[in-house]
Amino acid sequence: MIIPFLAAVFLLQAPQRAIAIDERLAADANLKVGDRVTLSPIPETPGDTVVISAIVRRGTDPAEVARSEYRIRMHLDHLQTLARYGDRVDRFAIATRSESSIDRTIDQINSAAFGFEAHRSKDIAVGTSKTFQVVSRFHKAIGVITIVASAIFLLCIMLLKVEERRRDVAALRLMGISRRTVMRSVIIEAALLALVGSALGIGVGWLGSLFINWYYRGVYRTPVAFSIITPSIVTLAVTLSLVLGITAGILASLRLVRTPPLVLFGR
Amino acid sequence: MPIALAWASLRRHGTRTMLAMLGVAVAAAMLLDMVMMSTGMRESFRSLLLSRGFQLRLSPKGTLPFDTEASMGNTRELVRKLRTNPNFVAVSPVLGGSIHFPRGDSVVTSSALGLEPRVQGDYELVSGRDPLAPNEIVVNDELYRALGARIGDTLAVANGYDPQTREYTGVRRLVLTGRVRFLYGATRQRAAAMELRTLQQMGGSERDDASSLVMIRVREGASIDSAMEFIKEQGPRANLVSTESALDQVDMRLRYFRQLAVILGSVSLFVGFLLVTTLITVSVNERIGEIAVMRALGVSRAHVVQQIVLEGMTISLIGAFAGLLLGLATGRYLNGILSSFPGLPEAIDFFLFQPKAAWTALGLLALSGIAAGVYPAFRASSLPIATTLREEAIA
Amino acid sequence: MTAPAVVRARDLTREYSFGKEIVHALSGVTFDVPEGDYVAIVGPSGCGKSTLLNLLGAIDRPTRGSVVINGTDVARMNDRDATSFRLRNIGFVFQRFYLMPTLSARENVELPMAEAGVSKLDRIARAKELLAYVGLAHRERHRPSELSGGEQQRVAIARALSNHPAILLADEPTGELDARTGAEIIGLFGRLNRDGTTLIVVTHDEELASAASRKIHMRDGLIVDG
Repeated sequence: MIIPFLAAVFLLQAPQRAIAIDERLAADANLKVGDRVTLSPIPETPGDTVVISAIVRRGTDPAEVARSEYRIRMHLDHLQTLARYGDRVDRFAIATRSESSIDRTIDQINSAAFGFEAHRSKDIAVGTSKTFQVVSRFHKAIGVITIVASAIFLLCIMLLKVEERRRDVAALRLMGISRRTVMRSVIIEAALLALVGSALGIGVGWLGSLFINWYYRGVYRTPVAFSIITPSIVTLAVTLSLVLGITAGILASLRLVRTPPLVLFGR
Repeated sequence: MPIALAWASLRRHGTRTMLAMLGVAVAAAMLLDMVMMSTGMRESFRSLLLSRGFQLRLSPKGTLPFDTEASMGNTRELVRKLRTNPNFVAVSPVLGGSIHFPRGDSVVTSSALGLEPRVQGDYELVSGRDPLAPNEIVVNDELYRALGARIGDTLAVANGYDPQTREYTGVRRLVLTGRVRFLYGATRQRAAAMELRTLQQMGGSERDDASSLVMIRVREGASIDSAMEFIKEQGPRANLVSTESALDQVDMRLRYFRQLAVILGSVSLFVGFLLVTTLITVSVNERIGEIAVMRALGVSRAHVVQQIVLEGMTISLIGAFAGLLLGLATGRYLNGILSSFPGLPEAIDFFLFQPKAAWTALGLLALSGIAAGVYPAFRASSLPIATTLREEAIA
Repeated sequence: MTAPAVVRARDLTREYSFGKEIVHALSGVTFDVPEGDYVAIVGPSGCGKSTLLNLLGAIDRPTRGSVVINGTDVARMNDRDATSFRLRNIGFVFQRFYLMPTLSARENVELPMAEAGVSKLDRIARAKELLAYVGLAHRERHRPSELSGGEQQRVAIARALSNHPAILLADEPTGELDARTGAEIIGLFGRLNRDGTTLIVVTHDEELASAASRKIHMRDGLIVDG
């Protein structure tokens, strides 16, 4: 009587397999470390009772952003058994001792491991990032359109500005101030406008970037950074603004200095 | 007269008027594209989902159709039960998978659909005929070219490939009966279709009686809600998705693009407005003396405002019409970029031209043109005439 | 027997505030202008001549007093009524012409008629008639930039006459013109007056002032003579 009882107690207290779940699942299903759950490969069928031993944060994998999947991590043999996968895996991940040994390792694996192919992680990342290449191209196209619109706007504003001061310029020219001096002052003004504008724009962009990351991280529940402002982006923006501004200044001032002063006066 | 005066005033400074119109055109193009994008995706998906009239879809529990490799079991029993409903015009089970065509030392791999050709809603026949027998197969143009085959050829087709033993599994010999265009196929994706039972058997015991998706077409006039209730009562371990809920879920995933569309559209409208306002304000300031004289001559404030507002509207409307054409071109270009999303059905357009979109964009720009002229116009027409004339004389 | 007064100004006063300081541009001016009269208002700079003209023309409102033109007190009118009154009853000629640079001579003359709702055919006919009257029939299609100063002023006069105004007001009409051209304008004003137009001109030009039938001298915002 005692032995079956002890056996039953022993069976009841058999160590359960442990799993780790991601933050999203923990939040949505209200789970915490120590909770017991049932795992099965087919919905609403009997499965294994497991204990949650950890809650993990997902890596910043952009490929997962739009997918609202839950992820759990378990021991390889446990999943193989549960999913009736047998002694199979989808892939191996290998870390070499040094960067320099990667190529040698790839060659060794490809020649020795029958039926397997080894790739650098970087190459796979490139291959699987096509979605983001598309998004990147799209953003660049939008960027180009925006730049074209900005250039036109800038040129229009500069033309208006020089028109407003045509009489002042006419008076200066009649006094003997050279065309070059007039042009230089207009171009400097345009360059300053562009610089101040780009500084403001970078500030707005930085704030926008903060907001975008905060918002979309919340929407997609991911730590992925959606917007990053790098020094090269800032440099590009400032340089482009300056170039456009100076070009607009040159074109506008050329119009001004080519008109005879008396005509500028309206005579 | 106000129209003539407005037009004459715009022509007076032709270059900057042209530039302003050009600026508005670019803003209008962007606005139109964003309006198209905000509605286009959803409408495009809707058209695709309803292209064959299937309003309901069953997919493995917790997933969207073909979102994962998961499948449903007991397909035959489920389909039999669904077909007892007189309101169900067609019930089409589909199984998805990969197949391989060994060609000597090389292999051509493609995706495959197992379906019932008589009720299927996944492809359109381009040439040849449907695969009505268990040993028949149809392919799309990409696969047709890759295989170098012709209709009537017998092809060796395998379900799996063991890289360690280098052996193919689930091999069958299938006769190519036709070329098709897959409605949900991605651009340049190779694909084939065969009888459901054939693909199930090629997949071995794991895939026996499995399906990835069951599509249901409900009789016109019948209640979709009642149909959904009936399906749920059959107790399938599946996710039941109507067209609207499928669209909602796709919307969720593509939310970023809709929000981007709203933001960029608003910015474009604002930029267009700003450009016209700036131009009109400067133009009015230059002509303040003329405006004061017009008022002195007896031209009413309303007519002065009308003339100036007309100037703003003219720039906006001409720019908008030019922008419509430009927007169609840039929309095509942007659509081309986004259509290359991997796995996206070729039939989906992100930028779908709808006349309503064009009118919306035009209307918004016309309003912005009016708004742009209103403030400077009111300001100018309200200035004290005598003081303004004196200041202009001194200036 | 004197013709009835077209213009009656009573105790016209105009004051401007500049912070705490008040400038008295006009201090209780009273006078009448009979129909068909040709009045020149003269005086040193800053005496209030132009201010008086602006009040008579209903483009400014007096601080106190009244201006009755053809029986209507324009000093108390709101902006809309004053504008409409100016359109149909008062013609203005300015020192700087102020023609619309984007319109031709004929279109400039048509402008007030268009505003008054005159049909296109009628206003074209009237504009041609007026341009012929001022001797510019051959220049009707020319823009102001293509006309000399004197020609521009003549177009401005034709414009001022387009709606058959009760009075024609002119503020330094020869101020921007050379002596010879100025004399042409003076001659034109004389002809207008002989043809029945009531004229009130503000001027520094002695020749123009002498051509008028009556002179009103002003100083420091008051009429001192006339």
